[in-house]
Amino acid sequence: MLEIYISYFARQPLASIPVFLTLIPIVLIWKRKAYLDRTFQILAIYLVAKFAIDFIMFDWASQKKNTVVFYNLSVPVRYILTSWMFYNKLEIKRYKNWLLLSVPVFTSFSIWDILNTNPSLSDLHNHKMVLYSTTVESLLMLFWILLYFYNTIRTLKIPNLLTYPFFWVCSGLLLYYSSFLFIAPVLHYDSKWEQWLDMGFLSYVPYIFECVSIVLFSIGISQFPSPRYAK
Amino acid sequence: MQNNEELKLALLIASIAMLMMAFFVISFVMYYQKKRFEEEKKISDIEKNYNRLLLDTALNSEETERRRIAQDLHDDIGTMLSLTKLSLNQLSKMIGTTGDEKEDQIMKKSQSLVEETILHVRRITRDLVPTTLERFGLLEAIEEFIDKLEEDNNLVISFQANTEEFPRQGQKLELTLYRIMQELVNNAIKHASCSRIEISLESTEEMIGLRVTDNGVGFDPEKIKENNLAGLGLLGIESRLAIVNGTVQYEKPLNGGSSAFAQIPVMPIAENKPEPLHPFRRERVNI
Repeated sequence: MLEIYISYFARQPLASIPVFLTLIPIVLIWKRKAYLDRTFQILAIYLVAKFAIDFIMFDWASQKKNTVVFYNLSVPVRYILTSWMFYNKLEIKRYKNWLLLSVPVFTSFSIWDILNTNPSLSDLHNHKMVLYSTTVESLLMLFWILLYFYNTIRTLKIPNLLTYPFFWVCSGLLLYYSSFLFIAPVLHYDSKWEQWLDMGFLSYVPYIFECVSIVLFSIGISQFPSPRYAK
Repeated sequence: MQNNEELKLALLIASIAMLMMAFFVISFVMYYQKKRFEEEKKISDIEKNYNRLLLDTALNSEETERRRIAQDLHDDIGTMLSLTKLSLNQLSKMIGTTGDEKEDQIMKKSQSLVEETILHVRRITRDLVPTTLERFGLLEAIEEFIDKLEEDNNLVISFQANTEEFPRQGQKLELTLYRIMQELVNNAIKHASCSRIEISLESTEEMIGLRVTDNGVGFDPEKIKENNLAGLGLLGIESRLAIVNGTVQYEKPLNGGSSAFAQIPVMPIAENKPEPLHPFRRERVNI
Protein backbone atom coordinates (compact mmCIF):
# COMPACT_ATOMS: atom_id res chain seq x y z
CA MET A 1 0.00 0.00 0.00
CA LEU A 2 2.75 2.43 0.98
CA GLU A 3 4.52 1.69 -2.27
CA ILE A 4 1.40 2.61 -4.24
CA TYR A 5 1.11 5.86 -2.28
CA ILE A 6 4.77 6.71 -2.85
CA SER A 7 4.44 5.88 -6.51
CA TYR A 8 1.40 8.14 -6.85
CA PHE A 9 3.13 10.88 -4.85
CA ALA A 10 6.09 10.69 -7.22
CA ARG A 11 3.82 10.85 -10.26
CA GLN A 12 1.54 13.63 -8.98
CA PRO A 13 3.55 15.64 -6.43
CA LEU A 14 1.59 18.88 -6.90
CA ALA A 15 -1.73 17.12 -6.31
CA SER A 16 -0.38 15.14 -3.34
CA ILE A 17 1.52 17.81 -1.39
CA PRO A 18 -1.58 19.80 -0.25
CA VAL A 19 -3.12 16.59 1.17
CA PHE A 20 -0.32 16.18 3.70
CA LEU A 21 0.40 19.90 4.05
CA THR A 22 -3.06 20.23 5.64
CA LEU A 23 -1.64 18.44 8.69
CA ILE A 24 0.56 21.46 9.53
CA PRO A 25 -2.29 23.89 10.41
CA ILE A 26 -4.15 21.06 12.18
CA VAL A 27 -1.13 20.38 14.40
CA LEU A 28 -0.60 24.11 14.93
CA ILE A 29 -4.22 24.62 16.00
CA TRP A 30 -3.78 21.78 18.47
CA LYS A 31 -0.39 22.98 19.78
CA ARG A 32 -1.38 26.65 20.06
CA LYS A 33 -4.80 25.77 21.49
CA ALA A 34 -6.29 28.01 18.80
CA TYR A 35 -9.40 25.80 18.89
CA LEU A 36 -10.44 27.71 22.01
CA ASP A 37 -11.35 30.51 19.63
CA ARG A 38 -14.72 29.78 18.02
CA THR A 39 -13.60 30.69 14.47
CA PHE A 40 -10.46 28.59 14.66
CA GLN A 41 -12.48 25.74 16.09
CA ILE A 42 -14.50 25.81 12.84
CA LEU A 43 -11.26 26.10 10.84
CA ALA A 44 -9.97 23.02 12.66
CA ILE A 45 -13.16 21.10 11.75
CA TYR A 46 -12.80 22.27 8.15
CA LEU A 47 -9.15 21.22 7.97
CA VAL A 48 -9.81 17.81 9.51
CA ALA A 49 -12.73 17.23 7.11
CA LYS A 50 -10.56 18.44 4.22
CA PHE A 51 -7.73 16.13 5.21
CA ALA A 52 -10.09 13.15 5.52
CA ILE A 53 -11.67 13.77 2.08
CA ASP A 54 -8.31 14.59 0.46
CA PHE A 55 -6.74 11.47 1.88
CA ILE A 56 -9.55 9.24 0.63
CA MET A 57 -9.19 10.92 -2.79
CA PHE A 58 -5.43 10.35 -2.61
CA ASP A 59 -6.00 6.70 -1.74
CA TRP A 60 -8.51 6.18 -4.57
CA ALA A 61 -6.39 8.12 -7.05
CA SER A 62 -3.37 5.99 -6.21
CA GLN A 63 -5.53 2.95 -7.04
CA LYS A 64 -6.54 4.63 -10.30
CA LYS A 65 -10.16 5.11 -9.32
CA ASN A 66 -12.31 8.14 -10.13
CA THR A 67 -12.25 10.43 -7.11
CA VAL A 68 -14.43 13.22 -8.47
CA VAL A 69 -17.44 12.09 -6.42
CA PHE A 70 -15.59 13.04 -3.23
CA TYR A 71 -14.63 16.40 -4.68
CA ASN A 72 -18.26 17.06 -5.64
CA LEU A 73 -19.43 16.16 -2.15
CA SER A 74 -16.72 18.28 -0.56
CA VAL A 75 -17.90 21.47 -2.32
CA PRO A 76 -21.04 22.11 -0.16
CA VAL A 77 -19.22 20.87 2.97
CA ARG A 78 -16.34 23.28 2.28
CA TYR A 79 -18.71 26.19 1.71
CA ILE A 80 -20.74 25.47 4.86
CA LEU A 81 -17.63 25.39 7.05
CA THR A 82 -15.75 28.35 5.54
CA SER A 83 -18.82 30.57 5.43
CA TRP A 84 -19.57 29.60 9.05
CA MET A 85 -16.21 31.18 10.01
CA PHE A 86 -17.31 34.41 8.36
CA TYR A 87 -20.69 34.17 10.05
CA ASN A 88 -18.78 34.32 13.34
CA LYS A 89 -16.57 37.16 12.23
CA LEU A 90 -19.07 39.46 10.54
CA GLU A 91 -20.63 41.86 13.02
CA ILE A 92 -23.52 43.41 11.09
CA LYS A 93 -26.72 41.43 11.51
CA ARG A 94 -27.89 42.08 7.93
CA TYR A 95 -24.72 40.55 6.43
CA LYS A 96 -24.97 37.61 8.81
CA ASN A 97 -28.51 36.97 7.63
CA TRP A 98 -27.44 37.08 3.99
CA LEU A 99 -24.66 34.63 4.73
CA LEU A 100 -27.00 32.35 6.61
CA LEU A 101 -29.43 32.43 3.72
CA SER A 102 -26.69 31.64 1.21
CA VAL A 103 -25.82 28.34 2.94
CA PRO A 104 -29.05 26.36 2.22
CA VAL A 105 -29.39 28.05 -1.19
CA PHE A 106 -25.86 27.10 -2.21
CA THR A 107 -26.13 23.59 -0.74
CA SER A 108 -29.32 23.00 -2.70
CA PHE A 109 -27.71 24.45 -5.82
CA SER A 110 -24.61 22.27 -5.53
CA ILE A 111 -26.75 19.14 -4.98
CA TRP A 112 -28.74 20.08 -8.09
CA ASP A 113 -25.45 20.64 -9.95
CA ILE A 114 -24.14 17.21 -8.92
CA LEU A 115 -27.35 15.55 -10.06
CA ASN A 116 -27.48 17.60 -13.23
CA THR A 117 -23.93 16.73 -14.27
CA ASN A 118 -24.23 13.14 -13.14
CA PRO A 119 -27.70 11.76 -13.97
CA SER A 120 -26.52 8.28 -13.01
CA LEU A 121 -24.99 8.59 -9.55
CA SER A 122 -24.23 4.91 -9.28
CA ASP A 123 -21.77 5.13 -12.17
CA LEU A 124 -18.75 6.25 -10.14
CA HIS A 125 -16.34 5.41 -12.91
CA ASN A 126 -17.73 8.11 -15.20
CA HIS A 127 -18.59 10.57 -12.45
CA LYS A 128 -18.01 14.15 -13.68
CA MET A 129 -16.96 17.25 -11.82
CA VAL A 130 -19.70 19.80 -11.06
CA LEU A 131 -20.11 22.43 -13.73
CA TYR A 132 -21.14 25.59 -11.85
CA SER A 133 -20.88 24.96 -8.10
CA THR A 134 -17.16 25.65 -7.70
CA THR A 135 -17.42 28.93 -9.61
CA VAL A 136 -20.45 30.03 -7.60
CA GLU A 137 -18.70 28.97 -4.39
CA SER A 138 -15.60 30.98 -5.38
CA LEU A 139 -17.72 34.04 -6.16
CA LEU A 140 -19.63 33.79 -2.89
CA MET A 141 -16.50 33.24 -0.83
CA LEU A 142 -14.71 36.15 -2.54
CA PHE A 143 -17.71 38.31 -1.71
CA TRP A 144 -17.68 37.35 2.00
CA ILE A 145 -13.91 37.86 2.23
CA LEU A 146 -14.09 41.30 0.61
CA LEU A 147 -17.04 42.19 2.84
CA TYR A 148 -15.05 41.14 5.89
CA PHE A 149 -12.06 43.23 4.72
CA TYR A 150 -14.35 46.20 4.13
CA ASN A 151 -15.74 45.92 7.66
CA THR A 152 -12.25 45.52 9.08
CA ILE A 153 -10.94 48.73 7.56
CA ARG A 154 -14.18 50.54 8.37
CA THR A 155 -14.35 49.66 12.07
CA LEU A 156 -10.60 49.92 12.79
CA LYS A 157 -10.75 47.42 15.62
CA ILE A 158 -7.57 45.53 14.72
CA PRO A 159 -4.43 47.57 15.37
CA ASN A 160 -2.00 45.33 13.46
CA LEU A 161 -3.34 43.07 10.73
CA LEU A 162 -0.06 41.20 10.39
CA THR A 163 -0.39 39.79 13.90
CA TYR A 164 -4.11 39.10 13.54
CA PRO A 165 -4.59 35.35 12.83
CA PHE A 166 -7.85 35.57 10.90
CA PHE A 167 -6.39 38.10 8.45
CA TRP A 168 -3.95 35.43 7.27
CA VAL A 169 -6.78 32.89 6.96
CA CYS A 170 -8.75 35.39 4.85
CA SER A 171 -5.69 36.12 2.69
CA GLY A 172 -5.20 32.38 2.13
CA LEU A 173 -8.84 31.90 1.16
CA LEU A 174 -8.77 34.98 -1.08
CA LEU A 175 -5.78 33.69 -3.04
CA TYR A 176 -7.20 30.17 -3.24
CA TYR A 177 -10.60 31.20 -4.53
CA SER A 178 -9.10 33.84 -6.87
CA SER A 179 -6.94 31.19 -8.50
CA PHE A 180 -9.97 28.91 -8.79
CA LEU A 181 -12.53 31.33 -10.17
CA PHE A 182 -11.76 31.03 -13.90
CA ILE A 183 -10.24 27.58 -13.87
CA ALA A 184 -13.12 25.91 -12.02
CA PRO A 185 -15.64 25.80 -14.94
CA VAL A 186 -12.99 24.30 -17.24
CA LEU A 187 -12.06 21.63 -14.65
CA HIS A 188 -15.39 19.97 -15.45
CA TYR A 189 -14.07 19.19 -18.94
CA ASP A 190 -10.53 18.51 -17.74
CA SER A 191 -11.33 15.92 -15.07
CA LYS A 192 -13.34 13.53 -17.21
CA TRP A 193 -12.28 9.93 -17.19
CA GLU A 194 -12.58 9.74 -20.95
CA GLN A 195 -12.32 12.42 -23.67
CA TRP A 196 -10.92 14.98 -21.32
CA LEU A 197 -9.75 18.45 -22.21
CA ASP A 198 -6.04 18.77 -21.54
CA MET A 199 -5.36 21.99 -19.65
CA GLY A 200 -1.72 21.22 -19.05
CA PHE A 201 -0.10 23.16 -16.24
CA LEU A 202 -3.26 25.18 -15.57
CA SER A 203 -4.94 22.20 -13.95
CA TYR A 204 -2.23 22.31 -11.27
CA VAL A 205 -2.75 26.00 -10.43
CA PRO A 206 -5.49 25.28 -7.84
CA TYR A 207 -3.16 22.78 -6.10
CA ILE A 208 -0.36 25.36 -5.95
CA PHE A 209 -2.65 27.98 -4.43
CA GLU A 210 -4.13 25.38 -2.12
CA CYS A 211 -0.58 24.96 -0.77
CA VAL A 212 -0.16 28.73 -0.55
CA SER A 213 -3.43 29.08 1.37
CA ILE A 214 -2.46 26.28 3.79
CA VAL A 215 0.87 28.01 4.43
CA LEU A 216 -0.98 31.30 5.09
CA PHE A 217 -3.39 29.50 7.46
CA SER A 218 -0.37 28.13 9.30
CA ILE A 219 1.20 31.60 9.56
CA GLY A 220 -2.09 32.94 10.92
CA ILE A 221 -2.45 30.17 13.49
CA SER A 222 1.14 30.65 14.64
CA GLN A 223 0.22 34.28 15.45
CA PHE A 224 -1.60 33.02 18.52
CA PRO A 225 0.91 34.30 21.07
CA SER A 226 0.34 31.83 23.84
CA PRO A 227 -1.68 28.67 24.34
CA ARG A 228 -4.19 30.63 26.41
CA TYR A 229 -4.53 33.52 23.91
CA ALA A 230 -7.97 32.50 22.70
CA LYS A 231 -9.36 32.65 26.23
CA MET B 1 -6.15 22.14 -31.03
CA GLN B 2 -5.61 25.83 -31.71
CA ASN B 3 -8.81 26.59 -29.79
CA ASN B 4 -7.49 24.60 -26.85
CA GLU B 5 -4.27 26.63 -26.79
CA GLU B 6 -6.23 29.88 -26.99
CA LEU B 7 -8.46 28.76 -24.14
CA LYS B 8 -5.44 27.89 -22.01
CA LEU B 9 -3.88 31.28 -22.74
CA ALA B 10 -7.11 33.09 -21.89
CA LEU B 11 -7.46 31.12 -18.68
CA LEU B 12 -3.87 31.82 -17.75
CA ILE B 13 -4.27 35.55 -18.30
CA ALA B 14 -7.58 35.63 -16.41
CA SER B 15 -6.13 33.66 -13.49
CA ILE B 16 -3.03 35.85 -13.31
CA ALA B 17 -5.23 38.98 -13.39
CA MET B 18 -7.43 37.55 -10.65
CA LEU B 19 -4.45 36.65 -8.49
CA MET B 20 -2.92 40.07 -9.02
CA MET B 21 -6.19 41.58 -7.90
CA ALA B 22 -6.19 39.37 -4.81
CA PHE B 23 -2.64 40.46 -3.94
CA PHE B 24 -3.63 44.07 -4.54
CA VAL B 25 -6.67 43.71 -2.24
CA ILE B 26 -4.56 42.21 0.55
CA SER B 27 -1.88 44.92 0.18
CA PHE B 28 -4.51 47.66 -0.01
CA VAL B 29 -6.28 46.45 3.15
CA MET B 30 -2.97 46.39 5.03
CA TYR B 31 -1.88 49.80 3.75
CA TYR B 32 -5.25 51.48 4.22
CA GLN B 33 -5.68 50.08 7.73
CA LYS B 34 -2.22 51.33 8.71
CA LYS B 35 -2.86 54.74 7.21
CA ARG B 36 -6.24 55.08 8.91
CA PHE B 37 -4.71 54.14 12.26
CA GLU B 38 -2.03 56.78 11.82
CA GLU B 39 -4.68 59.37 10.96
CA GLU B 40 -6.78 58.34 13.95
CA LYS B 41 -3.74 58.65 16.17
CA LYS B 42 -3.02 62.12 14.83
CA ILE B 43 -6.62 63.21 15.43
CA SER B 44 -6.55 61.72 18.91
CA ASP B 45 -3.30 63.58 19.67
CA ILE B 46 -4.79 66.84 18.41
CA GLU B 47 -7.90 66.30 20.54
CA LYS B 48 -5.76 65.46 23.55
CA ASN B 49 -3.65 68.59 23.09
CA TYR B 50 -6.75 70.69 22.56
CA ASN B 51 -8.33 69.37 25.75
CA ARG B 52 -5.11 69.98 27.60
CA LEU B 53 -4.99 73.52 26.27
CA LEU B 54 -8.59 74.06 27.35
CA LEU B 55 -7.81 72.79 30.83
CA ASP B 56 -4.68 74.89 30.98
CA THR B 57 -6.64 77.98 29.97
CA ALA B 58 -9.35 77.23 32.52
CA LEU B 59 -6.79 76.85 35.31
CA ASN B 60 -4.94 79.99 34.19
CA SER B 61 -8.23 81.88 34.27
CA GLU B 62 -8.91 80.51 37.74
CA GLU B 63 -5.53 81.69 38.99
CA THR B 64 -6.04 85.11 37.35
CA GLU B 65 -9.45 85.39 38.95
CA ARG B 66 -8.07 84.40 42.35
CA ARG B 67 -5.40 87.07 41.97
CA ARG B 68 -7.97 89.66 40.96
CA ILE B 69 -10.18 88.86 43.94
CA ALA B 70 -7.15 88.95 46.24
CA GLN B 71 -6.15 92.29 44.78
CA ASP B 72 -9.65 93.74 45.20
CA LEU B 73 -9.81 92.44 48.75
CA HIS B 74 -6.49 94.02 49.59
CA ASP B 75 -6.78 97.27 47.65
CA ASP B 76 -10.43 98.07 48.21
CA ILE B 77 -11.77 96.26 51.25
CA GLY B 78 -8.37 96.12 53.01
CA THR B 79 -7.80 99.85 52.55
CA MET B 80 -11.33 100.71 53.62
CA LEU B 81 -11.02 98.51 56.69
CA SER B 82 -7.73 100.19 57.61
CA LEU B 83 -9.37 103.58 57.23
CA THR B 84 -12.32 102.39 59.32
CA LYS B 85 -9.88 101.22 61.98
CA LEU B 86 -8.16 104.64 61.96
CA SER B 87 -11.51 106.46 62.20
CA LEU B 88 -12.59 104.19 65.04
CA ASN B 89 -9.32 104.90 66.86
CA GLN B 90 -9.95 108.62 66.51
CA LEU B 91 -13.55 108.19 67.63
CA SER B 92 -12.41 106.08 70.55
CA LYS B 93 -10.15 108.87 71.73
CA MET B 94 -13.02 111.35 71.48
CA ILE B 95 -15.41 109.05 73.39
CA GLY B 96 -12.70 108.39 75.98
CA THR B 97 -12.80 112.02 76.98
CA THR B 98 -16.59 111.91 77.66
CA GLY B 99 -16.15 108.99 80.13
CA ASP B 100 -19.31 107.02 79.07
CA GLU B 101 -18.50 103.39 79.94
CA LYS B 102 -21.19 101.84 77.70
CA GLU B 103 -20.10 103.84 74.66
CA ASP B 104 -16.49 102.89 75.41
CA GLN B 105 -17.43 99.20 75.48
CA ILE B 106 -19.25 99.36 72.14
CA MET B 107 -16.28 101.22 70.65
CA LYS B 108 -13.80 98.56 71.83
CA LYS B 109 -16.03 95.80 70.46
CA SER B 110 -16.24 97.60 67.09
CA GLN B 111 -12.46 98.04 67.03
CA SER B 112 -11.91 94.37 67.80
CA LEU B 113 -14.41 93.32 65.09
CA VAL B 114 -12.69 95.52 62.51
CA GLU B 115 -9.27 94.09 63.51
CA GLU B 116 -10.65 90.58 63.24
CA THR B 117 -12.11 91.37 59.81
CA ILE B 118 -8.74 92.75 58.68
CA LEU B 119 -7.08 89.50 59.78
CA HIS B 120 -9.72 87.44 57.95
CA VAL B 121 -9.25 89.47 54.78
CA ARG B 122 -5.48 88.96 55.00
CA ARG B 123 -5.93 85.23 55.50
CA ILE B 124 -8.34 84.93 52.58
CA THR B 125 -5.96 86.96 50.41
CA ARG B 126 -3.04 84.71 51.35
CA ASP B 127 -5.15 81.60 50.67
CA LEU B 128 -6.18 82.90 47.29
CA VAL B 129 -2.65 83.66 46.17
CA PRO B 130 0.18 81.71 47.83
CA THR B 131 2.80 84.44 47.80
CA THR B 132 5.23 82.34 49.87
CA LEU B 133 5.27 79.76 47.09
CA GLU B 134 6.38 82.32 44.56
CA ARG B 135 8.93 83.95 46.81
CA PHE B 136 10.45 81.05 48.74
CA GLY B 137 9.39 77.85 47.04
CA LEU B 138 7.33 74.74 47.66
CA LEU B 139 8.85 73.58 50.98
CA GLU B 140 8.25 76.91 52.69
CA ALA B 141 4.77 77.26 51.20
CA ILE B 142 3.75 73.80 52.45
CA GLU B 143 5.24 74.51 55.89
CA GLU B 144 3.33 77.81 56.07
CA PHE B 145 0.13 76.08 55.00
CA ILE B 146 0.63 73.43 57.71
CA ASP B 147 1.31 76.05 60.39
CA LYS B 148 -1.91 77.88 59.57
CA LEU B 149 -3.93 74.67 59.57
CA GLU B 150 -2.52 73.50 62.88
CA GLU B 151 -3.44 76.86 64.41
CA ASP B 152 -7.05 76.58 63.28
CA ASN B 153 -7.65 72.82 63.70
CA ASN B 154 -6.96 70.20 66.31
CA LEU B 155 -4.71 68.30 63.95
CA VAL B 156 -1.20 66.91 63.83
CA ILE B 157 0.28 67.49 60.41
CA SER B 158 3.78 66.30 59.63
CA PHE B 159 5.80 67.14 56.60
CA GLN B 160 8.98 65.66 55.28
CA ALA B 161 11.00 65.95 52.10
CA ASN B 162 13.71 63.60 50.90
CA THR B 163 16.06 66.54 50.36
CA GLU B 164 16.80 69.43 52.67
CA GLU B 165 17.27 71.86 49.84
CA PHE B 166 14.40 71.28 47.48
CA PRO B 167 15.41 72.69 44.10
CA ARG B 168 13.11 75.34 42.66
CA GLN B 169 10.88 74.07 39.88
CA GLY B 170 8.90 75.81 37.16
CA GLN B 171 6.09 78.05 38.36
CA LYS B 172 3.41 75.82 36.86
CA LEU B 173 4.79 72.67 38.44
CA GLU B 174 5.17 74.25 41.89
CA LEU B 175 1.68 75.72 41.79
CA THR B 176 0.21 72.40 40.61
CA LEU B 177 1.87 70.50 43.43
CA TYR B 178 0.82 73.11 45.96
CA ARG B 179 -2.82 73.13 44.83
CA ILE B 180 -2.95 69.32 44.81
CA MET B 181 -1.48 69.21 48.32
CA GLN B 182 -4.06 71.83 49.43
CA GLU B 183 -6.92 69.82 47.91
CA LEU B 184 -5.79 66.50 49.39
CA VAL B 185 -5.31 67.96 52.87
CA ASN B 186 -8.65 69.80 52.71
CA ASN B 187 -10.34 66.56 51.60
CA ALA B 188 -8.78 64.70 54.53
CA ILE B 189 -10.00 67.36 56.96
CA LYS B 190 -13.50 67.57 55.45
CA HIS B 191 -14.29 63.92 54.77
CA ALA B 192 -11.83 61.62 56.54
CA SER B 193 -12.39 62.70 60.19
CA CYS B 194 -8.69 62.23 60.76
CA SER B 195 -6.43 63.37 63.58
CA ARG B 196 -3.14 63.03 61.75
CA ILE B 197 -1.98 63.91 58.26
CA GLU B 198 1.41 63.11 56.79
CA ILE B 199 2.73 64.99 53.79
CA SER B 200 5.89 63.88 52.03
CA LEU B 201 7.69 65.23 49.04
CA GLU B 202 10.06 63.05 47.05
CA SER B 203 12.23 64.49 44.35
CA THR B 204 14.40 62.63 41.86
CA GLU B 205 16.05 63.86 38.69
CA GLU B 206 13.05 62.82 36.63
CA MET B 207 10.02 62.87 38.90
CA ILE B 208 8.57 64.74 41.83
CA GLY B 209 6.23 62.77 44.04
CA LEU B 210 3.79 64.14 46.59
CA ARG B 211 2.18 61.79 49.10
CA VAL B 212 -0.60 62.76 51.49
CA THR B 213 -1.62 60.10 54.01
CA ASP B 214 -4.25 60.39 56.74
CA ASN B 215 -5.48 58.13 59.53
CA GLY B 216 -9.15 58.81 58.91
CA VAL B 217 -12.04 56.65 57.79
CA GLY B 218 -10.49 56.07 54.37
CA PHE B 219 -12.23 55.35 51.08
CA ASP B 220 -12.21 52.71 48.38
CA PRO B 221 -10.64 54.30 45.30
CA GLU B 222 -11.98 51.55 43.00
CA LYS B 223 -15.53 52.11 44.21
CA ILE B 224 -15.23 55.82 43.61
CA LYS B 225 -14.00 55.25 40.07
CA GLU B 226 -16.62 52.58 39.32
CA ASN B 227 -19.52 54.62 40.64
CA ASN B 228 -18.22 57.90 39.23
CA LEU B 229 -18.31 59.43 42.70
CA ALA B 230 -15.21 61.56 42.29
CA GLY B 231 -16.20 65.05 43.37
CA LEU B 232 -14.90 68.27 41.93
CA GLY B 233 -11.86 68.07 44.21
CA LEU B 234 -10.55 64.77 42.88
CA LEU B 235 -11.48 65.72 39.32
CA GLY B 236 -9.64 69.00 39.80
CA ILE B 237 -6.54 67.10 40.89
CA GLU B 238 -6.72 64.89 37.81
CA SER B 239 -7.26 67.91 35.55
CA ARG B 240 -4.26 69.72 36.97
CA LEU B 241 -2.14 66.58 36.60
CA ALA B 242 -3.27 66.03 33.01
CA ILE B 243 -1.75 69.36 32.03
CA VAL B 244 1.68 68.48 33.41
CA ASN B 245 1.57 64.77 32.38
CA GLY B 246 1.27 63.72 35.98
CA THR B 247 -0.49 60.77 37.55
CA VAL B 248 -2.25 60.13 40.83
CA GLN B 249 -2.81 56.89 42.70
CA TYR B 250 -5.17 56.45 45.60
CA GLU B 251 -4.37 53.70 48.04
CA LYS B 252 -6.01 52.21 51.08
CA PRO B 253 -3.26 51.43 53.60
CA LEU B 254 -3.63 48.22 55.61
CA ASN B 255 -3.54 50.13 58.90
CA GLY B 256 -6.50 52.30 57.87
CA GLY B 257 -6.94 55.77 56.52
CA SER B 258 -6.16 56.72 52.96
CA SER B 259 -3.17 57.72 50.92
CA ALA B 260 -2.79 59.62 47.68
CA PHE B 261 0.40 59.70 45.66
CA ALA B 262 0.77 62.22 42.86
CA GLN B 263 3.73 62.09 40.50
CA ILE B 264 4.80 64.75 38.05
CA PRO B 265 7.72 64.58 35.65
CA VAL B 266 10.29 67.32 36.19
CA MET B 267 9.94 70.00 33.54
CA PRO B 268 12.68 72.33 32.36
CA ILE B 269 12.41 75.72 34.06
CA ALA B 270 11.47 78.53 31.70
CA GLU B 271 14.38 80.86 31.02
CA ASN B 272 12.38 84.06 31.48
CA LYS B 273 11.85 84.92 35.10
CA PRO B 274 8.25 84.24 36.11
CA GLU B 275 6.00 87.09 37.10
CA PRO B 276 6.09 87.51 40.88
CA LEU B 277 3.06 85.89 42.44
CA HIS B 278 2.12 88.96 44.39
CA PRO B 279 -1.47 89.65 45.17
CA PHE B 280 -1.09 93.34 44.93
CA ARG B 281 -0.36 93.75 41.24
CA ARG B 282 -3.06 93.89 38.60
CA GLU B 283 -1.52 91.54 36.07
CA ARG B 284 -2.67 88.51 34.23
CA VAL B 285 -0.89 85.35 35.30
CA ASN B 286 0.32 82.88 32.75
CA ILE B 287 1.32 79.72 34.51
